[in-house]
Amino acid sequence: MNDDLTRWHVYDVTMREGTPPLKVRLAERLGVSEEDTLASLQRLAAARMLVLQPDAGEILMAGPFSAVPTPFRVTLGAFSCYGNCIWDALGIAATLQADAEIDTSCADCGVATRIGVHSGAVVGDGFLHFALPPRLWWQDIVFT
Amino acid sequence: MLFFRSEEHIERWCKTWRLDQGAVIPLPQGWELARAWYTEDRREPSWRRRTLEETEAVFAQLGFTSEFWSLR
Repeated sequence: MNDDLTRWHVYDVTMREGTPPLKVRLAERLGVSEEDTLASLQRLAAARMLVLQPDAGEILMAGPFSAVPTPFRVTLGAFSCYGNCIWDALGIAATLQADAEIDTSCADCGVATRIGVHSGAVVGDGFLHFALPPRLWWQDIVFT
Repeated sequence: MLFFRSEEHIERWCKTWRLDQGAVIPLPQGWELARAWYTEDRREPSWRRRTLEETEAVFAQLGFTSEFWSLR
């Protein structure tokens, strides 16, 4: 089975709709069983191309998109979605090359903040904090 | 990676959670990092993860040259 094709289908759906597809839909698109789809997803996860949820193995992260709600909501013309972190939220606008509004909040005081991306420029104030150095990111990518 | 309103908020958060402060990046620079990292070809079948050298080049291009950003 071609894992590159699996990855393409994951991102084709995600970048059109904002949310990674469930295994059942992915299997339909690939024309294979859910078991084979899961095996392909697991290989992609082992290669750090995706992150899977524990237990059922549905996609958790197809970076920069999150499959689950997070504190980083990104609103674009076509849909709203979630970034895995503030960097990923910006990354959604970057990879789609689209204007976006990012709704988040200060991780310390909780004050709501909206960040805009308009015509390739970011609008807003604030800071990103990378708690871990890059060489440790994949020790626990969910924590990162 | 979390968002903070100010560097003082980062300092207070790190103190609260007893974490060492990591890298603090102003929002405009964070946007440049996002643009450099998340390119439009992510959907392409030919897309692949960057090599260590390519990643180092991205960081260097943006001025991230401290030990924190070392991959080795």
